[in-house]
Amino acid sequence: MTAIKKAAVIGAGTMGSAIAAHIANSGVPVVLLDVVPPGANDRSTLAKAAIAKLAKIKPAAMMDKRVGALITPGNIEDDMSRLADADWILEAVVEDLAVKRGLFTRIQEARRPGSIVSSNTSTIPLRRLVHGMPEDFARDFMITHFFNPPRYLRLIEFVKGEKTRADAVETLRTFADERLGKTVIDCHDTPGFVANRIGVFWLQTAMRAAMDLGATVEDADAIVSTIFATPKTGVFGLVDLVGLELIPYIGKSLAATLAPEDPCRAVLEVPGVVKRMIAEGRTGRGRGAGFYRLSEQGGRKVREAIDLATGEYRPAREPAIPGLKGAESDPRAFLGRTDLAGRYAWRVMSATLSYAAMLVPEIADDIVAVDQAMRYGYGWKAGPFEIIDRLGAEWFAGRLKAEHRDLPALLRTPEPFYRTENGHRTQRTHRGHLRIVEPEGVLRLAEAKIRNRPVLSNSSASVWDIGGGIACLEFHSKMNTFDRKTLSLVRKTVDYIPTNFRGLVIGNDSENFSAGVNLGLALFAANVAAWPAIESMLKEGQDAFRAIKYAPFPVVGAPAGLALGGGCEVLLHCDAIQAHAETYMGLVEVGAGIVPGWGGCKELLARWCARKDRPQGPMPAIAQTFETIALAKVSTSAAEARELLYLGANDAITMNRDRVLADAKAKAIALAVNYKPPVPPTFVLPGPTAATAMSLAVDDLVKSGKATPYDRVVALALAEVLSGGDTDITETVTEDTMLALERKAALTLIRNPQTLARIEHLLETGKALRN
Amino acid sequence: MPVYKTPTRDLRFVLYELLGAENLASLPGYESATPDVVLAAIEQTGQLCEEVLLPLNARGDEEGCRYENGAVTTPSGFKEAYRKFAEGGWVGISCDPEYDGQGLPQVLNFIVSEIACGTNLALAIYVGLSQGAYHGIAAHASDELKRRYLPPLATGRWTGTMCLTEPHCGTDLGLVRTRAERNEDGSYRVTGTKIFISAGEHDMAENIVHLVLARCPGGVPGTRGLGLFIVPKFLPNADGSVGLRNLVRCSGIERKMGIHGSATCVLDFEGATGYLVGRENAGIVGMFSVMNLARLAVGMQGLGLSEVAYQTACAYAKERLQGRALGAPAFPDKPADPIIVHPDVRNMLLTMRALTEGGRALAHWVGYAFDVALRHPDPAVRQEHDDLVQLMTPIVKSFLTDSGFEIANLCLQVHGGHGYIRDHGVEQLVRDARIGQVYEGTNGVQALDLVGRKFSQNTGRLLRRFFHPVDAFIAAESHTPGMEPFVSPLAKVFGRCQQATLWIAERGLADPNEGAAAARDYASLFGYVALAYLWARAAKVARTRLAAGQGEDADFYRAKLATAGYYVQRILPRATAHAAALAAGAEPVMAMAAEAF
Repeated sequence: MTAIKKAAVIGAGTMGSAIAAHIANSGVPVVLLDVVPPGANDRSTLAKAAIAKLAKIKPAAMMDKRVGALITPGNIEDDMSRLADADWILEAVVEDLAVKRGLFTRIQEARRPGSIVSSNTSTIPLRRLVHGMPEDFARDFMITHFFNPPRYLRLIEFVKGEKTRADAVETLRTFADERLGKTVIDCHDTPGFVANRIGVFWLQTAMRAAMDLGATVEDADAIVSTIFATPKTGVFGLVDLVGLELIPYIGKSLAATLAPEDPCRAVLEVPGVVKRMIAEGRTGRGRGAGFYRLSEQGGRKVREAIDLATGEYRPAREPAIPGLKGAESDPRAFLGRTDLAGRYAWRVMSATLSYAAMLVPEIADDIVAVDQAMRYGYGWKAGPFEIIDRLGAEWFAGRLKAEHRDLPALLRTPEPFYRTENGHRTQRTHRGHLRIVEPEGVLRLAEAKIRNRPVLSNSSASVWDIGGGIACLEFHSKMNTFDRKTLSLVRKTVDYIPTNFRGLVIGNDSENFSAGVNLGLALFAANVAAWPAIESMLKEGQDAFRAIKYAPFPVVGAPAGLALGGGCEVLLHCDAIQAHAETYMGLVEVGAGIVPGWGGCKELLARWCARKDRPQGPMPAIAQTFETIALAKVSTSAAEARELLYLGANDAITMNRDRVLADAKAKAIALAVNYKPPVPPTFVLPGPTAATAMSLAVDDLVKSGKATPYDRVVALALAEVLSGGDTDITETVTEDTMLALERKAALTLIRNPQTLARIEHLLETGKALRN
Repeated sequence: MPVYKTPTRDLRFVLYELLGAENLASLPGYESATPDVVLAAIEQTGQLCEEVLLPLNARGDEEGCRYENGAVTTPSGFKEAYRKFAEGGWVGISCDPEYDGQGLPQVLNFIVSEIACGTNLALAIYVGLSQGAYHGIAAHASDELKRRYLPPLATGRWTGTMCLTEPHCGTDLGLVRTRAERNEDGSYRVTGTKIFISAGEHDMAENIVHLVLARCPGGVPGTRGLGLFIVPKFLPNADGSVGLRNLVRCSGIERKMGIHGSATCVLDFEGATGYLVGRENAGIVGMFSVMNLARLAVGMQGLGLSEVAYQTACAYAKERLQGRALGAPAFPDKPADPIIVHPDVRNMLLTMRALTEGGRALAHWVGYAFDVALRHPDPAVRQEHDDLVQLMTPIVKSFLTDSGFEIANLCLQVHGGHGYIRDHGVEQLVRDARIGQVYEGTNGVQALDLVGRKFSQNTGRLLRRFFHPVDAFIAAESHTPGMEPFVSPLAKVFGRCQQATLWIAERGLADPNEGAAAARDYASLFGYVALAYLWARAAKVARTRLAAGQGEDADFYRAKLATAGYYVQRILPRATAHAAALAAGAEPVMAMAAEAF
């Protein structure tokens, strides 16, 4: 097996360039080629323009600004020779068979033997792509279908041909999994592969059913939504997000390739209103208007929705469906409702789920692949077979039967699709229930939970045995926020580990690591003037995190997603961090009108002070820490967290979300050998003179309108902490003093009405108030 | 017989020594509300109520309202008394002068209510409903409807009602079945049956303006499909005179435990012509703004009854001779001592007095905040005071009606067997007081409103408006010489209330039953803490005045201090019991299966 050390992407359109960026995110250099536009001065202008655009698009395609340097632009006239040392050549040009085949012939001439060639096609069958191509090309060729945006959507569909080398597939599989962080599913060479085949059917069915039954887009989106584990945007909201023009595009290719009797054909006809919207350029959020839009009316933003009957906008309405709240706890009951909402839900979900059941094993070998495709390609929280299990496979089949509908073979067996047997998850196959085998190095708490009861647990956090003498501390309150129970379990864990485990990992399976302290409870405490309760909460947090830091065993933080405020602070106290590439870390407390009070100021300052390449004297470290906290900088990736020093020399990054815990566990095992807790830092800080210097800088920002007067109050409190309070350069400041300064600053600030207004606003709108 | 003298001295104390209500006159639109004007108004209304309303109270109870053939006859004398009250301008005392109101502060209206309810609750109810209807129309209706309906309501020429309840639909307004259909001229046809409609039919005014909650055309089930409609008994002519009889009919009145002079009607709307107030499907919002004011007004009913009950018990305890003081006789020349010498009787009287005067401070503190929220030029200040009013509304309603009933009951107890005899007019107070705990949302519902809506609104911001001033007061006064006996018990229960609040916030998030099971005890705890705060402030004023040497008023301030002392030492411990009870959680409440009851 050859590893991928260098790659090439041909086709610098939206997908090609973003895939190139993501390959570069993994640290692999990549060549990006496109055609030479007629009359162009710069013959590589297309690729160059694409790279320039990559640096600007939102959400960002590149994980940090240095990634761009790994992408080399070129054109297919002059630079085909650069393919010679590429291990993987990915084609992402226009979906035109003749163009692709012409390109493949040229690639075949330029590439080195044994390199892998793949196409990112979403619509052209592999057998047609390789038809008539030389034998060695066909052996090295496959389809690797990414989803947009490739950095963020986890799915890659692999399609291999009869002749494709198995080791080529495995090489790309390993690279896609470990380096690109993707979930690979193996698809058969069938129209639309897996995700789009079911996804387009679902979208079209849902849109048409809304029109047939007379449901509004708002109602439809509230119904086919979180209740059934499909995206909370709803179908119309989702189509706005991906772009309306995509629907007829994929639909057309499906129409050309699907079997005549395929049920999907019946829903492929694009509704008139959608056609009209596309013709008028109202193709979704990208164009500022789709099924929904924001319009200015008298200086106020008003959300509007399309009236499906007239195609005109009208003010969006709150869905007027009783019993929506909490309906996800019993989706089956919702499907049994006889009102419009129930009928709509049943029409869409019954059609979609039975269509999915009909397609296995036609489109993929097993149901796991289908469920993963819908989860990672279309943002469902559960795949179709997982949803059927939630409803009850027998109940679902029974109702289809009662309605005299065709029962797919898979639904004729009244058994759940997934089970737990002997501590392992199994899936139903034509050979009975078989254990689901995860790739080596994949570890999810979900599996530990099947096998064991938690070692310690309360309503906010739990500790699990993840093997190898390592325990995992999981936060599981809403958004994994910290309350008293979280902190008390942290303390218990630190006491419990030494006699039972070698080390500890802090992590979880959820989308976000932690959003920090439960601000709602904190605000409540402040609203009832429970200052002693707030002070003790500050103290308890500091003590708990300090216990982690000085525990007699190694602690490895394993964040993914948001790690904000207290969620960032707990990580700063770990011996090492093994972060998922998509980790958004930051000390964001100033947005709530406070300063980090659980050791965050102290730990970040210590990181900057310990940096070996820094200039002399404490002031540069203080200034850097001050800037990072005062501006509430949040990393947009783990790579960027490194630049902000939230991640340090001991910390590493894992690209695949499912591998974060395993990597963290391995790190904990390694650190456990002869483990010694760290030595408490001491600080030499200038005291009031430094605070004055920072306050002058803040004054300038206030004068120029870049900071508000209350920003100044918060910044000055932060400056006092970071400058060491009432000290001077001849004294040493201990950790205890720093922590006391943090507490004092936080407690002073939280008594201010402006701070309370900031917290209130943050909780209500999710946005920071600039008061 | 019930004794009532308007508590002008205590009202003056609350307004101008405790609350600083002289600042009312600096609020835009209230320039005329100087202390002279306000106090004169209190004198006048007091005199009218004592002389006209009070003597009718027992007769109203005995006679009750009579129903015959769609018409209701009020007890003899009610009609004339109502006319005098209306002619004095008291119905519209705080209504807009543009609509023939007097334009005086709302807090003065609350005081007028307190006095009217103390002297004749059944009669005062008619006035309260007119004010509710006025408020709902003023806040939400079109200018045309306002011009047509507000002036006759403000002057008392017409009266108003609030029509919410239906036979199957009480607290849960989402079940309303009465429906409205559009007419071509923009009006509506309203059809359905409403019950428990106070003042729904009577003979005291030429027209009645019903504010009716009904389902809009095509309105969704639940409260979001409701609209608010004006349905007049007689359709007004263009010149404001009454015209055609509308298709709304009173089909009976209820036989009740108390407030016999108040007509509680069943109303049948049979395609009656109605006019939409505000927008379709937004009726519940409009009704809530009427209801919030109505809840405060019910609090005034409890307060008024407390005052009359206390005065009546006091008079009796001073003249009733029975037994001897323990130790030495107090009046050896008389056949026996007055019962006021007995500790048990004193306990009752002091409990009544401390809860009444504390309740008055609470009621008018909130009333004053109502005016600031209405009129202050700074929107931030208006917001703060509006927050306080919203937060305290369920407390004012539930605490003052709970203590109103407790005090009326104590009044009967002080009278012994004579209290149980109808001729003394004391048992009427008990029966009249009981309804306050029930209507306008039972006190259980008030408690749920407090821990539900009022807690969650803006993540607890409303709570800040109570807890922060109390916290600041404790911090400021904890070292003031002589204040320790008042501040230290306050600080203790305040801490319990803070704890209980956080406890409910945390537990309630995980399990809504926890919040609901704690609600009633929490609302009581909150009420006792609020009174402790106001009593401590009152004690501070009294101490300051006494230190400055207040000649003839010295007795008043000494009594204030003594009553404050009684409150914090003998009543406030109840707060601790409520705190302990709620902290036991929902488990003991929910443990037993429904079948086991």
